[in-house]
Amino acid sequence: MNAPARATRSRYVAPIPAFADAFTAARSSLPGKEAPAIQDWRQLHFDRFLETGLPTPRVEQWKYTNIARAANVPMALATRPNVGLGDVQRYFTGGPLARRLIFVNGHLASELSHVRGLPQGVRVESLGKLLQDEPEWSARALGGPAEPHSFADLNAAFLQSGAWIELGDGAVLEHPLQLLFLTVGQPAAVMAHPRIVVRLGKEARLHLIETHIGLAPGHCLTNLVGHYELGEKARLTHDRLQLGSAGTSFVGLNRQRLAERAELKQTLATLGGALVRNETDLHLVGSFVEAQLNGVYMPIGEEHVDNVIRIHHEAPDGHSDQFYKGVMDDRAHAAFAGKIIVHQDAQRTNAFQRNDNLLLSDDAEISSKPELEIYADDVKCSHGATCGELDRTALFYLRSRGLDRAQAESILTFAFAAEVIERFVDPAVRKLARECLVARTPGGAGLSDLL
Amino acid sequence: MLKITDLHVAVDGGSKPVLKGLTLEVKPGEVHAIMGPNGSGKSTLSYVLAGRDGYAVTGGSVRFQDADLLELEPEERAAAGIFLAMQYPVEIPGVANNYFLRQSLNALRRARGEPEVSAAEFIKKLKAVAERVGVDPELLKRDVNAGFSGGEKKRNEILQMVMLEPKLCVLDETDSGLDIDALKTVADGVNSLRSPDRGMIVITHYQRLLDYIVPDFVHILADGRIRKTGGKELALALEEQGYEHLLGEAA
Ligand SMILES: Nc1ncnc2c1ncn2[C@@H]1O[C@H](COP(=O)(O)OP(=O)(O)O)[C@@H](O)[C@H]1O
Ligand SMILES: [Mg+2]
Repeated sequence: MNAPARATRSRYVAPIPAFADAFTAARSSLPGKEAPAIQDWRQLHFDRFLETGLPTPRVEQWKYTNIARAANVPMALATRPNVGLGDVQRYFTGGPLARRLIFVNGHLASELSHVRGLPQGVRVESLGKLLQDEPEWSARALGGPAEPHSFADLNAAFLQSGAWIELGDGAVLEHPLQLLFLTVGQPAAVMAHPRIVVRLGKEARLHLIETHIGLAPGHCLTNLVGHYELGEKARLTHDRLQLGSAGTSFVGLNRQRLAERAELKQTLATLGGALVRNETDLHLVGSFVEAQLNGVYMPIGEEHVDNVIRIHHEAPDGHSDQFYKGVMDDRAHAAFAGKIIVHQDAQRTNAFQRNDNLLLSDDAEISSKPELEIYADDVKCSHGATCGELDRTALFYLRSRGLDRAQAESILTFAFAAEVIERFVDPAVRKLARECLVARTPGGAGLSDLL
Repeated sequence: MLKITDLHVAVDGGSKPVLKGLTLEVKPGEVHAIMGPNGSGKSTLSYVLAGRDGYAVTGGSVRFQDADLLELEPEERAAAGIFLAMQYPVEIPGVANNYFLRQSLNALRRARGEPEVSAAEFIKKLKAVAERVGVDPELLKRDVNAGFSGGEKKRNEILQMVMLEPKLCVLDETDSGLDIDALKTVADGVNSLRSPDRGMIVITHYQRLLDYIVPDFVHILADGRIRKTGGKELALALEEQGYEHLLGEAA
């Protein structure tokens, strides 16, 4: 091994041999198994994963999550347990006309999915099917390796399924498209590697709902990669809800590139999962882009949530807005690291970031780290992070109207987090999130009227 | 029903005396107006009655219907029948106005051993009261006071007050920021609560409000004490002559 690689080894750990075993075992069953183009594509990424290794907290981006400890364990590729319509219907969102792809432990459940009758210019395909049926095209379309990323590389090596969503110029999908990922935990540790690719042409419009639901506790690591390309004046509304169950973990990397006057409105709620890490790498490559990222996390027990966001303002007149809130109870730990990079050409950039946190227990913890890197001179940037307790004035106001302290505290805790939930565009997502929020709020039983 | 005797209150962790021997008695059915210069301690008095923390009582007593009011938590005071319409109503993003009001009505009912109101009953009453006090029905669905105009916030306070039917109403500068039409609507709402078993303390800067809510007594609060008491004509005299002149005479 050459010298630079060895130098990084001190901050990365070598993957245990179980990964190579799993890769060898999976190769013969993964989609595209007969096609050299896909085989090579997988191998390339897997080799790079082996070379890079798994990051320790000494790697800046992974400072708050010891992923090497959590993920450098023997994991087989998850199998697909039986899940019926009755188990999943309550997680259907987007209204009666929504289309839906459903995945169970990383496998497409086509009998539960429905993506027929799409309008002109809209293509929604199972990624697994594409890898199998059009391997050469897929290998080209998915692209060669970008910069190394342990989990993105691992995802490519094991890529099983996911969604390929493409809207041509001017194409509009009137009703939401839901990607429903179900995790059924298993006694032995397993992993799943789905991917979402979204390409919106000029002036295309899409409302994407991405829900991750834990149906049963157990050890399952979902390693998701998302690639989003928004063309000129394209609009993406992206509602993301994470309701993992005990023991299930999630590692996600979203890369988004927005062309001129494109608009992104993303709202993300993390309301369950032993370890959840959401990494976002957002590039405003065209001018006059509008990007709004809303997020809320509410870990309880020993749960751990980590949000890492990098926003690159690469063109002038862009506007980005991050609004993240967290409520930590018990011994939970959450982290928020948001970095705004304003390139030299990105004059008249407006970039805002807020991260407000509420600690409900002495043993809960939050690490909040805002960062600004500005190379242009005519910009408006601001960031603010707070961490504290409930607003005393509001508490007094509620109590002066007769609510007792516990009830007032519950209501204010709920309201604190609900401010982000309200930003979900789809009412059914909002409702699911509110239910989960109530369940996580101390004294939440008394809040049932809120649902 | 309310008996304040020689009340001393300090703020800033107890280091700054604001009320210095205030005595006041409100009997059932009476409406007392309290006027006074800015910073004289009017809001402080209202907060001490409602039980807000940060106001240290360093002397004196407050009795409300045979209870030691100062011993009670804010919610216990509300249950006992005290309502404060605040000078600066608090915005509570994330909590819907109608939800909040129903929770608070039911909390008070529970505390008083009364049955809770049904959703239907509540909505019917809420609609009627909202119309009476001029609160736009849309505001009922919005978050409590969040993004309301100054006038809308004041009316929302009166809406709560009429809904909760307290025994002692304390209104802290409810009139400031209201135009004349809004003032009349708000006064109508307040007057609808006037009854032989209910007391009121109306804190105001302007005589104007007292044309519509006619008080039985007018008190002038200055230097932390009630410096002068009279009938409604005292408010008119104050308007004409100003505090300095009036209080100079008294001194
Ligand atoms: N919570 C507080 N902390 C510190 N000072 C206060 C507080 N509340 C009131 N004060 C001070 O006490 C005095 C009386 O205030 P206030 O009761 O609001 O007067 P008024 O309502 O008559 O204008 C003022 O000097 C004000 O600055
Ligand atoms: Mg005042």
